[in-house]
Amino acid sequence: MLNGCRVLDLTTDRGLMCGQMLGDLGADVIKVEPPGGSPVRAMKPFFADEPGPERSVYWWAYNRNKRGITLNLETAVGRDLFRQLVKSADILIESDNPGHLAAAGLGYSDLSAINPALVYVSITPFGQDGPKASYADSDLIVMAASGVLILYGDEDRPPVRMSVPQAYLHACADATGAALIAYYDRLNSGLGQHVDVAAQQSLGLAQQSTLLAATVGGDETRRMAGGVKMGPIRVPLVWEAKDGLVTCVFLFGSALGVFTRKMMNFIYEKGFCDQATRDKDWIAYADMLLTGREPFEEYERVKGVVAAFLRSMTKAESFELAREHGFLIAPLATTDDVLANPQFIAREYWQTIEDRELGLKLTYPGPFARLSTTPITYQRRPPRVGEHNREIYLGDLGLSDREVSNLIEQGVI
Amino acid sequence: MATRLPLSDVKVLDFMWVLAGPGITRAMADYGATIIRIESTQRVDPTRTVGPFKDNNTNPEFSALYGNNNAGKLGLSLDLSKPEARAIVLDLVRWADVVSESFSPKAMRNWGFDYESLRAVKPDIIMISSCLMGQTGPLARFAGFGNLAAALCGFYNLVGWPDRSPSGPYSAYTDYIAPRFGLAALMAALIHRKRTGQGQYIDQAQAESALQLLTLPILDSVASGRKYSPIGNDDLEHAPHGIYPAAGDDRWVAIACRTDDQWRALCTAMTQPQLADDSRFGTFAARRAHREELDRLVGEWTARRTPQDTEQMLQASGVPAHTVANTFDANDDPQLRHRGHFVPVNHAVAGETFVESSRYRFSRTPADVTRASNALGQHNQYVLEKVLGYSDDRISELVAGGVLG
Repeated sequence: MLNGCRVLDLTTDRGLMCGQMLGDLGADVIKVEPPGGSPVRAMKPFFADEPGPERSVYWWAYNRNKRGITLNLETAVGRDLFRQLVKSADILIESDNPGHLAAAGLGYSDLSAINPALVYVSITPFGQDGPKASYADSDLIVMAASGVLILYGDEDRPPVRMSVPQAYLHACADATGAALIAYYDRLNSGLGQHVDVAAQQSLGLAQQSTLLAATVGGDETRRMAGGVKMGPIRVPLVWEAKDGLVTCVFLFGSALGVFTRKMMNFIYEKGFCDQATRDKDWIAYADMLLTGREPFEEYERVKGVVAAFLRSMTKAESFELAREHGFLIAPLATTDDVLANPQFIAREYWQTIEDRELGLKLTYPGPFARLSTTPITYQRRPPRVGEHNREIYLGDLGLSDREVSNLIEQGVI
Repeated sequence: MATRLPLSDVKVLDFMWVLAGPGITRAMADYGATIIRIESTQRVDPTRTVGPFKDNNTNPEFSALYGNNNAGKLGLSLDLSKPEARAIVLDLVRWADVVSESFSPKAMRNWGFDYESLRAVKPDIIMISSCLMGQTGPLARFAGFGNLAAALCGFYNLVGWPDRSPSGPYSAYTDYIAPRFGLAALMAALIHRKRTGQGQYIDQAQAESALQLLTLPILDSVASGRKYSPIGNDDLEHAPHGIYPAAGDDRWVAIACRTDDQWRALCTAMTQPQLADDSRFGTFAARRAHREELDRLVGEWTARRTPQDTEQMLQASGVPAHTVANTFDANDDPQLRHRGHFVPVNHAVAGETFVESSRYRFSRTPADVTRASNALGQHNQYVLEKVLGYSDDRISELVAGGVLG
């Protein structure tokens, strides 16, 4: 559906998923790498733990549905060629430190002079300007700065991040939406603009507005093992089952208390609690705790009742109950469990792309949304280093064989 | 003169509620779309009952969570069990470019608002349905919150310490991911419609969007058979890499040395330059092998100073470091201030409050985040009179008939 939309992807590891999403949606995405390949190709993990530019699983993960060329932007000739490509591009995505591309004459003002309709998307940790714009970063640093990290982990230990990088993926998904809003505008106005995505701010959305607590004068949320502390109320989200762990929502209020009431009725029927426990006012329960009408010891006792109920069943049994009765319970899946989940299988979610040279089928999470008229399809495996050089330099830019050979000799491509 | 906002020609009839859906239309409102949000008077939006609350007031109009997700939208309250309310909805479908909803599958069909029915009314309508597991399949009707999808997607088993049960990510993790993907899909559909005049239906399973963020472990476990489990704050590429104690209660600082040079700079900052040449710490592999000792040495140094002091000192030497920010730090953060992250808005009931800004900046058509979320039923008169052109008599009848709740 984005056919005819040409995207130049200059991103480092921070920005790769944005171009992939645009490629999924049908744009013609050209990944531009330095000669020899992107530094991301040297990032772990590697297929079968053997390093090699075509074996980085990190590279594979976020470069499908792109074509790939090499181009040395450190050289004047390379920059000239790049400007040629910019003339026919609709969107450019980059994730270098602020000012890096501008220093090479490839900043927004330089390129909009060549192509005023260009949508130029920058993905950085803290944004293009401001006191922290030049801060050194990593996934962990951005998680810390965003206010997300303090919420993760056990209260008796330091906060802990997710064991696979996440911060920039949120920013990339935001950048895709932003790029398309700007592109939509350009269909009306004929004009592009600079879109400045800050990962620190993107992660604001990853914490249920708790970041606003101090500003609006509300309670601070804090981490605890397998759950969260909302003011003085300790809300467990991870519970033991007979054979592992499940998540279960045991909360209160006019919306969530309804689920709790339903589950407590069932717990009573199964003989895990008395009538008085069943009949507590689950709608007003949080207020009762906060105003002292219900002692916190009693809340702890009731949580013990729920814990005993959940411990009496396997993960599968409690999930079956949840599906049957609308309880808010689900098992904690491993990667193998996710791959075997009948829902994803029934929806034919998993997509494979064959890599003949490696003799391997790559299994990807499938389309991020199902569009009825213009479905997302996975057309291309991640490109090899310089795989589409000839196609693009000869075909698109109209260079001759000889010119391309010269460029290779000069180390430009 | 105000610049024309990118989506000022886009009209959305919005049934989205709770967390994952409204984030999509909030972003569209920031960039000029007109969003008319239908609120059922039968079932309150759960986020109105969840904090943080302005001044800790648990009145549903004081929820900063609801306010943040719904800033800039118009609110129309309807009792959808009444046929007159459903007639109003169909008039709004004729007005709209997009209909969005995030109920569990079946709800829209029961009201007669499924895609086929809406398309009969408005042939080029774009409809997006966003639910936990998708509109089809054995778990289609498994409804709930993002923590359930996060568990089913495997996110819970990736946060924690190797010697303990997983801690899991904070709360409803997939609810924070899905709106970004929903927006991208919806924008692509709007672009396609602008070019071709065709509408379409979008089935977004929040779990299927969120799994994009686990592409790496999924590819790797299928290709290489590697098993993923929580590894605390360790990293495959960097050491030292962790969260270190700072002076104060529950105060921490994050440090991630990505290169040997950054490690040397850290040793200099700690006034222990000899550590850089210590054979236990000379290379990444050595540092990772001796990481317990390494983390102890770094932690002894950080524990004596505030997280901000460590952050500033290390960043001045080019070492990635940052305070592990809590809500109070965020409120004072010079970078978030510079970006105008916390935006004052005036709410009809709660008075002056704050929402978060757009997460990106546009150079030519910056976001317009000036309007608060709707109070329940706040825009009933406006929508019926100005948008739908209903007469005063008709509006009075609807009010008298309890159609607006």
